[in-house]
Amino acid sequence: MDQQNTNSNNNQPRAGFAPPVREIMEYSCADCGATNEIKSREPIRCRECGHRIMYKKRTKRMVQFEAR
Amino acid sequence: MDARRLVGIHAERVTDVSSRDFPGHYPDEDHSWNLKKFRKNLTVQVRRVSQRSIDFDLVGVDASIANAFRRIIIAEVPTICIEHVYVYNNTSVIVDEILAQRIGLIPLNIDPKKMEMKEADDESTDRNTMVFELALECTRKKDAPKDTTDPALLYENHELLSGHLVWTPAGEQNEVFRDKPPAPTNPNIVIAKLRPGQGIQMTLHAVKGFGKDHAKFNPAATASYRLLPHITIKKPIPVHLAEKFQKCFSPGVIRVDPRTKAVSVDEENKRRDTVSREVLRHPEFDGYVELSRVRDFFLFNIESESAYLPQELLPEAISVFRGKLSSIRRAAQALLEAPADEDVVMGDS
Amino acid sequence: MAELPPKVTIMKGATPDLSAATYQIHDETHTIGNALRWMLMKNPKVEFCGYSAPHPSENVINVRIQMYDNLSSLSALITALSDLDDLAVTIEEKYVASLNSGNYERWDERS
Repeated sequence: MDQQNTNSNNNQPRAGFAPPVREIMEYSCADCGATNEIKSREPIRCRECGHRIMYKKRTKRMVQFEAR
Repeated sequence: MDARRLVGIHAERVTDVSSRDFPGHYPDEDHSWNLKKFRKNLTVQVRRVSQRSIDFDLVGVDASIANAFRRIIIAEVPTICIEHVYVYNNTSVIVDEILAQRIGLIPLNIDPKKMEMKEADDESTDRNTMVFELALECTRKKDAPKDTTDPALLYENHELLSGHLVWTPAGEQNEVFRDKPPAPTNPNIVIAKLRPGQGIQMTLHAVKGFGKDHAKFNPAATASYRLLPHITIKKPIPVHLAEKFQKCFSPGVIRVDPRTKAVSVDEENKRRDTVSREVLRHPEFDGYVELSRVRDFFLFNIESESAYLPQELLPEAISVFRGKLSSIRRAAQALLEAPADEDVVMGDS
Repeated sequence: MAELPPKVTIMKGATPDLSAATYQIHDETHTIGNALRWMLMKNPKVEFCGYSAPHPSENVINVRIQMYDNLSSLSALITALSDLDDLAVTIEEKYVASLNSGNYERWDERS
């Protein structure tokens, strides 16, 4: 694959780097489309409708491709 | 027509395909290379030109030469195309990879002579890279009619088009490309379809390249040739079969005299024939006609799909061809002048 | 920058006087191979000329030249290259002349 993700996507803090600022993770509900903030170890459940399937949002990072 | 120039076309086979104009083939004939003779024998005639395509005849050369030009146009005349795609956002239904590939195929109007090749480890500069921005957000139209299903009436920006590419000049580019600002040759190419809430934002880098590296760099839509068809009527076609005979060929190829029903080949229009060999299927025409093609008569058709005008592509190909010849000749000359004690440079195996 | 391989090398097995030799031309294809073979075969002093593209993943062609009278195939190669150049110039001249004459149909083709 040509895709080169410019930043590797691991969460382990590496030596010399400050731990990444923890962003609030937002998910959108697969049923009603509402935006939910879900922190770790919280139940995966929509606050609006109680649906248990969530979509993760697209990365805000730039992704590079070869036009081939 | 000299019979030696003809390639025979029969119902199920072709004959006399290869050229035989080499020294030693025909006794007591001189076929060695002779520029004067070649020049006298050569005809290049432009037939038809539009803003997108050209038809011309190349007569009196070997297939290897005509084919070299055709191959060079397709594979070795450089063009500028988008090569790197930096996606900041893409919430459309088309995945990034597919979108990037589609964007690479968009023909751009950038004159390749004004840019340099970017080799693998070169830095991007204003000489070798052209930057475009592509950003579009689809929204609902407030005043859309209630009963319509037409996306053009319902939504703003429901299609991402090649015309949405915005050139970002860098360095000297504003100066160099002032006459013709870089843009796609056709602004109406649909890249992606969008619905409200979907959007695309990306930066695109275009570079110079060759068709042999990737088909997107091919400057032509098609570059092809065929051989001139030749039809020999051996004996007069019976009057009652004249119309049937005419219908065996493409329209305009065979003339039938309205009064005498005499059949003849229209020399000016015989190039229109597809050489379908239909006439050879009918036993009543057995022995009346011979089909063939002229081995050294090339009917070229080139459609440009790039910054080049169609009539510019052959001269470009010729200059690439000459560049190749001179680099090989320089290397051969170096071998010739290599000091005798050093022994000739031997390749492995 | 990486060292570029030489454009032309003479392959092992050539006669010392180069009256018979195989030349390996780098970064070339049938485009040059076939045209060059044709021009070499127009030389009456060439006994045999043939070319091959040995493998699709190798960017080279091999051109075999054998000469009569122990002549140098390298000289024949150089002559053929300049003759091909003359040919290309002649074709371009006639093409440009025909284009400049304006004696052809012009038509409007919408994309």
